[in-house]
Amino acid sequence: MEKEFLEIVHEHQKIVYKICRLYRNSREDQEDLFQEIVYQLWKSYPSFKRESKVSTWIYRVALNTAIAIYRKSKISIDYFEEFPEHIHPSDEKTISENEVRLFWALRKLNDSEKAVISLYLEDFNYKEIAEITGLSESNVGVRLTRIKNKLKQILK
Amino acid sequence: MELNDLKLDWKNAGDDLKSEADLRLMTKIVNHPSIKKIRTKLIIETIAILFFLFVYYDWFDGDKKPFYANLSLVVGFVLYIVNDVIGYISITRPIRGTNLKLSLQNYLMRIKRLSISSVIITFLYSISIIIFFTSVITFTKEKGLILLFSIVIVSQLILLSLRMWTKWIKNLKLQVKDFNLDEES
Repeated sequence: MEKEFLEIVHEHQKIVYKICRLYRNSREDQEDLFQEIVYQLWKSYPSFKRESKVSTWIYRVALNTAIAIYRKSKISIDYFEEFPEHIHPSDEKTISENEVRLFWALRKLNDSEKAVISLYLEDFNYKEIAEITGLSESNVGVRLTRIKNKLKQILK
Repeated sequence: MELNDLKLDWKNAGDDLKSEADLRLMTKIVNHPSIKKIRTKLIIETIAILFFLFVYYDWFDGDKKPFYANLSLVVGFVLYIVNDVIGYISITRPIRGTNLKLSLQNYLMRIKRLSISSVIITFLYSISIIIFFTSVITFTKEKGLILLFSIVIVSQLILLSLRMWTKWIKNLKLQVKDFNLDEES
């Protein structure tokens, strides 16, 4: 079971990485959250019946963990009100400027908005987003419109 | 930047991949960032308390104290260990729910129950120590001051614990409320 689990998580680890970058500001907190999510996935793996897609299960557990677990209050040096123009891709190895800008903008949303937009960006349809979040399909639509407008404002 | 570009950037994000060996380590409690600290604290406290319970009767004149004082001290310490164990089990249990909204609601209930039991047990455990050390002693001004100082320290500890729980619960309530927004209207 462990081998199978590790293969699945290895294959889908980008999801965990993205949720960590979305919900935590500092590298240290992102690493801690990554570990916490992998641990939570491992604990809930026996009850994963494969009735949903693996990515759906990973998103559900990762978002639960990122939103629910206790967060220490820390002043992060990674949070910027304005987009940090001085950050050059070479400052963060292998991270492109577009990616830095993407997460900078997404982190300005609240936790539930982050959950909805991350699922949308991953190409889940409204029905799937509703199933993962527990929102109604119509509410997902309303929220997405609001979030898209908010992002346009942030990124203009 | 268009929103469709964001989709592309989102999908391309993340190159710093971890190996299966690294991921395997992450499934072990011994490598967990917060649970390993809680477990170490639990083990050290349990050993220290068991040691204290083993020697207190001789070292702190347990034989000269009334039965109720001895009982109160033992029950207080046992409650403390039980509270630590309940907290540890509760924190290591996965966050369950068929969807995010339900999971958060369930988790909020779990944390609320845990906070209530934790604060009550910390209070009872502190009272039990005070009962033991203040039973059958003649109070002098110095002893009274020491007692007062101890009460202030204990109150501060309880307040700190309460503040930590309140902050966590407040944040969870906010998330639950946020997920229910618009759905109720």
